[in-house]
Amino acid sequence: MLKTARMNLRLFYDGAMLSYMALFRWLQPMTYLASMVFAPLTYMLFFVFLGRFATGEDNASFYVIGNSIQMAASSGIYGVTMSITGDRWDGTLPYLFGAPANRLVIFVGRAFMHVINGYISVLLGFFWGITLLGLDLSQTNIGAMALTILVTSISTAGLGLLLGCLSLMTRNVMFVNNTVFFMLLLFSGANIDITTFPAWMQSISYALPLTRAIVAARQIVAGADLSQVANLLGTELLYGAIYIVLGYSLFTWFEKQAKQRGTLEAV
Amino acid sequence: MNLSKLPAHWRTIRISFEMQLRQNFSDPFIIFAIIVQPMIIATLALWMLQDQVDQFAIFVIVGSGMTGLWSSLLFISGNAITGERWVGTLEGLVASPTPMPVIVLGKNLANVFQSLSSMLASYALVALLFGLSIEIQQPLLFAVSILFAMLAFVTFGLIMASLFIINPAVQNWQNGLEFPVYILGGFLFPIALLPGWTTPFSYLLAPYWAARALQAASVGAGTFEEMALNWGMMLFFSIIYIITSRSLFLFVLRKARVDATLGMQ
Repeated sequence: MLKTARMNLRLFYDGAMLSYMALFRWLQPMTYLASMVFAPLTYMLFFVFLGRFATGEDNASFYVIGNSIQMAASSGIYGVTMSITGDRWDGTLPYLFGAPANRLVIFVGRAFMHVINGYISVLLGFFWGITLLGLDLSQTNIGAMALTILVTSISTAGLGLLLGCLSLMTRNVMFVNNTVFFMLLLFSGANIDITTFPAWMQSISYALPLTRAIVAARQIVAGADLSQVANLLGTELLYGAIYIVLGYSLFTWFEKQAKQRGTLEAV
Repeated sequence: MNLSKLPAHWRTIRISFEMQLRQNFSDPFIIFAIIVQPMIIATLALWMLQDQVDQFAIFVIVGSGMTGLWSSLLFISGNAITGERWVGTLEGLVASPTPMPVIVLGKNLANVFQSLSSMLASYALVALLFGLSIEIQQPLLFAVSILFAMLAFVTFGLIMASLFIINPAVQNWQNGLEFPVYILGGFLFPIALLPGWTTPFSYLLAPYWAARALQAASVGAGTFEEMALNWGMMLFFSIIYIITSRSLFLFVLRKARVDATLGMQ
């Protein structure tokens, strides 16, 4: 029992580290900075300035907070998906399916480093918000905000795991990723107060990760403490778990289909 | 490439144009960049504008269309030569008697032409989702501005395609170059909102002058002075881009023949 647990822990750690290193093996430090630091900053600036133009200077913090939290989705969606689909493109999928290793450990391990990455991305977002866009965090409960960022990173990585499995069935992984990322910009409330949406759009918003975390983050910046946002964070975490379960179910189904049909690639 | 000999290559340009257009229509990434992304950005902008939608709808249509044009230029035209390297056809193209810039020109024309559909998509979205009836106030000036914008974008594409193949490190910044031009180009908000020190950077970008011309013509603010300035700047930058790209292409070809590393990245 203990031996199995130790082995799974090692598998989790090695899988997480190696898949992350493999994903970024082609990146020079400058490229990493361009993709992980500069590009997200420019997204944020664009939407903050657009928001200021549309609704006025006083609302800047609404967009800064929303887009900072949204940065977790960049790692959660693109990073996790590429980690999962990397096995397909690099030809390691047959070995993975042939190995006796615990599938859940392998599967969740793919997301681990991207949760950390997502966390750092959100922190960077807040850093840019404070230094460049005048975000005021004087009323903010730092512990509650730290937990909110962690929950957001986990929930968006959950969505990434589900999308990663979908990417095993399509060649158009970037189309799916890009569309979901931009739909999140629209529906998550990062840039629009979702109470202005009609009911059917609000239903979509509340079925997605990020939405509740963004609401919670705005409340925390306005002075709320952890107990006031605990429900929001709990539900956000629950949605992250649902996405992970859905993704894992799809992953095991995909493995079963692949073995039955003798086709390790669905397309 | 000698510009006076360009008409002699019309057939190559036409075939290159057609091939590129066919390839683009079958590439979901390109469909995303020129149709889906501009439509989502337009929806976001219109929703953010709330009760000012009537006032700014045409501004958003033109601006989101410009985002599609720029993304297409950056990701598709920018990869016009690199893409040939990826599929192993670059050596053949370089060795063929047709000048390579002619082929890239045909490809860029197709990309820019196709990406004009971004504006049509945004227009359809505004009409269907928001139920607004939008008219371009000065259609003739708008049409002429489109032609100047196409010239500026196609020639800018020549620079990017050659730069990306010369130095892959520049291409590594591709993702990071998308939104800065949306911002500095004033596509969806006036550049007056930005800090003053960024204004000269906007003036150095042909997309800024293109957006300014199209937006002025669409809202009926296209005075003679305004349009002459915008068109003049686009023409000026196009000439600069042509001259610069000529040197860059010569460098690419010389390097390919001397170093023999054309297929390597």
